[in-house]
Amino acid sequence: MRTYDVTVIGGGPAGLAAALSAHGEGAKTLLVEREARLGGILKQCIHDGFGLVRFQEKLTGPEYAQRFILRFQQAGISCAVQTFVTRAERAGEGFDVTLVNRDGVGTIRTKTLVLATGCRERTAKQVSIHGTRPAGVFTAGTAQHFTNLLGQLPTKKCVILGSGDIGLIMARRLTLEGAQVLGVYEAKPTPSGLTRNIHQCLHDYGIPLYLSHTVTRVLGAGRLTAVEVAQVDGSMRPIPGTEEVVECDGLILSVGLIPENELAQSLGVELDPKTKGPVCDGQLMTSVDGVFSCGNALHVNDLVDYVSESGELAGRNAARYAAAPRRTVPIRPSPALLYAVPQRLDLDRDNSETALYFRSREVLDGCVLRVRADGREVFSKRYPFLRPPEIERLNVDFSRFGLHEGSEIELDIEVTEHG
Amino acid sequence: MDMGKVNKKLSARFGGAVRAELRDGSVVLSGKLDRWADVVEACQLAAVKYSRVHVVNDITCAEAKAQPMRLPDLRDSVLEGARPDALIIGGGISGASIARELSKWKLDILLVDKEPDLALHASGRNDGEVHPGVDLGKGSLKHRYIRRGNAMYDEVCRELDVPFRRVGQYVCFDKGWLRPFIALYCLWRRYHDGISDTRIISGAELRRREPALSRDFKFAVSNPSSGCVCPYGLTIAYGENAVQNGAKVSLDTAVLSMEVEDGEIKSVATNRGTVYPALVINAAGVFAEEVARMAGDRFYSIHPRRGTNSILDKKAGASFSSIASVMEAARTRGRSKGGGILHTVHDNLLAGPDAVETWEKENTETHPESITHVFSKQQRTMPALSQGDIITYFTGVRAPTFEEDFIIEKGRKIHNLIHCAGIQSPGLTTAPAVALDIEKMAVEELRKRGRTVERNESFNPIRKGPPVLRDLPDGERAALIRENPDYGVIVCRCEEVSRGEILDALRSPICVPTVDGVKKRVRPGMGRCQGGFCSPLVAQIIAEFLDVPLEDVKKSSSQSDITFGRTK
Repeated sequence: MRTYDVTVIGGGPAGLAAALSAHGEGAKTLLVEREARLGGILKQCIHDGFGLVRFQEKLTGPEYAQRFILRFQQAGISCAVQTFVTRAERAGEGFDVTLVNRDGVGTIRTKTLVLATGCRERTAKQVSIHGTRPAGVFTAGTAQHFTNLLGQLPTKKCVILGSGDIGLIMARRLTLEGAQVLGVYEAKPTPSGLTRNIHQCLHDYGIPLYLSHTVTRVLGAGRLTAVEVAQVDGSMRPIPGTEEVVECDGLILSVGLIPENELAQSLGVELDPKTKGPVCDGQLMTSVDGVFSCGNALHVNDLVDYVSESGELAGRNAARYAAAPRRTVPIRPSPALLYAVPQRLDLDRDNSETALYFRSREVLDGCVLRVRADGREVFSKRYPFLRPPEIERLNVDFSRFGLHEGSEIELDIEVTEHG
Repeated sequence: MDMGKVNKKLSARFGGAVRAELRDGSVVLSGKLDRWADVVEACQLAAVKYSRVHVVNDITCAEAKAQPMRLPDLRDSVLEGARPDALIIGGGISGASIARELSKWKLDILLVDKEPDLALHASGRNDGEVHPGVDLGKGSLKHRYIRRGNAMYDEVCRELDVPFRRVGQYVCFDKGWLRPFIALYCLWRRYHDGISDTRIISGAELRRREPALSRDFKFAVSNPSSGCVCPYGLTIAYGENAVQNGAKVSLDTAVLSMEVEDGEIKSVATNRGTVYPALVINAAGVFAEEVARMAGDRFYSIHPRRGTNSILDKKAGASFSSIASVMEAARTRGRSKGGGILHTVHDNLLAGPDAVETWEKENTETHPESITHVFSKQQRTMPALSQGDIITYFTGVRAPTFEEDFIIEKGRKIHNLIHCAGIQSPGLTTAPAVALDIEKMAVEELRKRGRTVERNESFNPIRKGPPVLRDLPDGERAALIRENPDYGVIVCRCEEVSRGEILDALRSPICVPTVDGVKKRVRPGMGRCQGGFCSPLVAQIIAEFLDVPLEDVKKSSSQSDITFGRTK
């Protein structure tokens, strides 16, 4: 049986970064990728805007991925593409991972696992769309796959539900391909995607954005012929009497991403109901010793730069991992936050430069993030504004706060000015 | 039957808007009503449950706009002049199982269905429960066939290589004082239905077996002979076995009209040519009445009743392993058994179905109210049941008569016609047994007509489905991959379906080269991402297999384009 120090599952931006950093630490590393090519979802993200934080450059998705793939190949790290993990289970000090590919079924043993399994898209049925089951209803990622990887036009005249970033990107992409995008409908009163995408993908192309609206029904027997849209109330329920039928041949859904953690759950990893990703410490180790998480499997990121960063962190710590009992303290976000990552700190680790990610629950102007340790404020940071779609990242030196077993860290956001 | 009494009741309720008369052994209702619900009520008033005297609905209804049967686009003449011994109309569980049983004989069998695949209506849109055979009136055909059908499932599913699990069913009660009455009822059922394995178990025992069920249940009736099967999988397997044994299946083939002379069907016109069958078997589901009308043998009416089921994530499936429902005190007259929760053979949970009368035979739209209704009821069965775990939902339309029983008999006026109609729950359970009886009726009728009917010596009851690699031990899986490396390329990550299995589906005896056709056979796209990742890949494999451009690959019917050709 082949053995590795670190096995990274998933060859997208998080997994590539994790494998590179684990290898850089001298660990014997294996990267497992389900598809035939490395790069993950970046392969189909042919728009630009990737890498502003990391490279101070605007790259396309494939360009960004290629920088890592080149380094990965030059480093000569072991890699199994078109290989699927069917099972991972604890074995001795490490884990046995069963792999299926064209060569058959094999098992490898690894001291640690880095789960970089990405996320999947929420589907029409998960947002309670009813009616018939015609062709022409796509998640934005599927439409993007058809358009950018297969060179096939998935719609000529469409409605987009949800103002998530992929939906906005696809609104522009399909317009450029000559399709008519009748509008983007968003059930929430504020957009879900990045502000820059609202401008660059909708406003610049005259595509209307309908806030507090949703699609309630699809019509058509073979191919989609129309959708029914309606206004929604404060609790996002359709308001009777506001229904309107919009003729179109496509419905593109950009209604949220869900971290993929089926493998993590099979290993007994505890998930955070808010992020839907594993509960991790500052080293991105999950509740299961030796299992690390990063990228969109950990929580859904809006910038690939952060995905790569978390991969590097997880890969490095997986390589340095030595089994030891953990003493942890929780980081508890108040209801003003949508979530915060990491969810706890390991007292026996270096917490002097912990990358803390959070999202606010609501659109807030003029506010301050307060960090309290055992009730006393130890850190604060002012923000001119916070937007739920835009993740905030900051470094916090938790080592200065005199944390001990039984300590609790609380995060809160306070609005300081109005208007 | 006393028409005076019936008319008195009708007149009291509808003030003379509807009248009943006895015509050719059926109770024919005529008149005019505004609402479909009233039409159903009127017919139910006139109907006697399980009676052989059927209600025929000729009431005009303002609300129920006549909707023509949806027809395939296809027009050709591949069937022109065909002279099958038996023409089976309808490729649901009834038609497919009849075709398979008839293929034991040296006969020219032709099964037609207007849809692009088998099991696209009720047979593919139900909960897949194999019922235990309680709670059916003695003397009904449902009662006659259910125990035989249930008992046949192990063997039939073994022969056809279809997963079947006898997981048992629990009918749960939250009122403890009912227990002695239900115990008596069970005893009576044992005597009446001959079902000896039905037991009453305590609430504690119920929760020991199924910890996820409500703590409010004081006791439950346990029916261990209940099971679950994949209903469309079984239909397709029956169809494939029929084809392997010489039967022909023609999809996208709709019966348009019939030429009838001297009580005989002479010819049947379809969109693919006119055929001249010796015998016609009407297994047309919701359209059985239309087929009967074409043949001039319409002695019953179908009143469509839709039901919606939800499929939940396999993670929810892990919490429960059998079939359960809560017994409600009040039950609506004439309705099939209400919804339940079922652990499917593919390890999902299924919740539903509800039951709503409708005049639309082909409207399988879903509505949010159905889901809410089913969940509010079933959360009493299993409190943790959550709409958040739903991965998909679908609607099917049942095809009951107003007598709520099957019609399995030769034509009353037409000699070369056999009806297999009014099939609704528990029609999936009864199908294997019904098919054997229809086989006998058909052979007898053909012999009566001077046709020599001989055994098909080469009949092979065994149908081998494509291997399901995710279910195999690693060693066997590796061996198959060595033979065919495509079995090692996973295309659908949620259901772990390989490229090799998708190609197997495309090479199967009834090839349906569409995304849905492949999905029904080997499950890519059935998982929690609902084809988000794999549908472009599946479409690509189909395009390569057919050697056509990607835009020619359809989701299901010929109008269901997935893409519109090359980008700029």
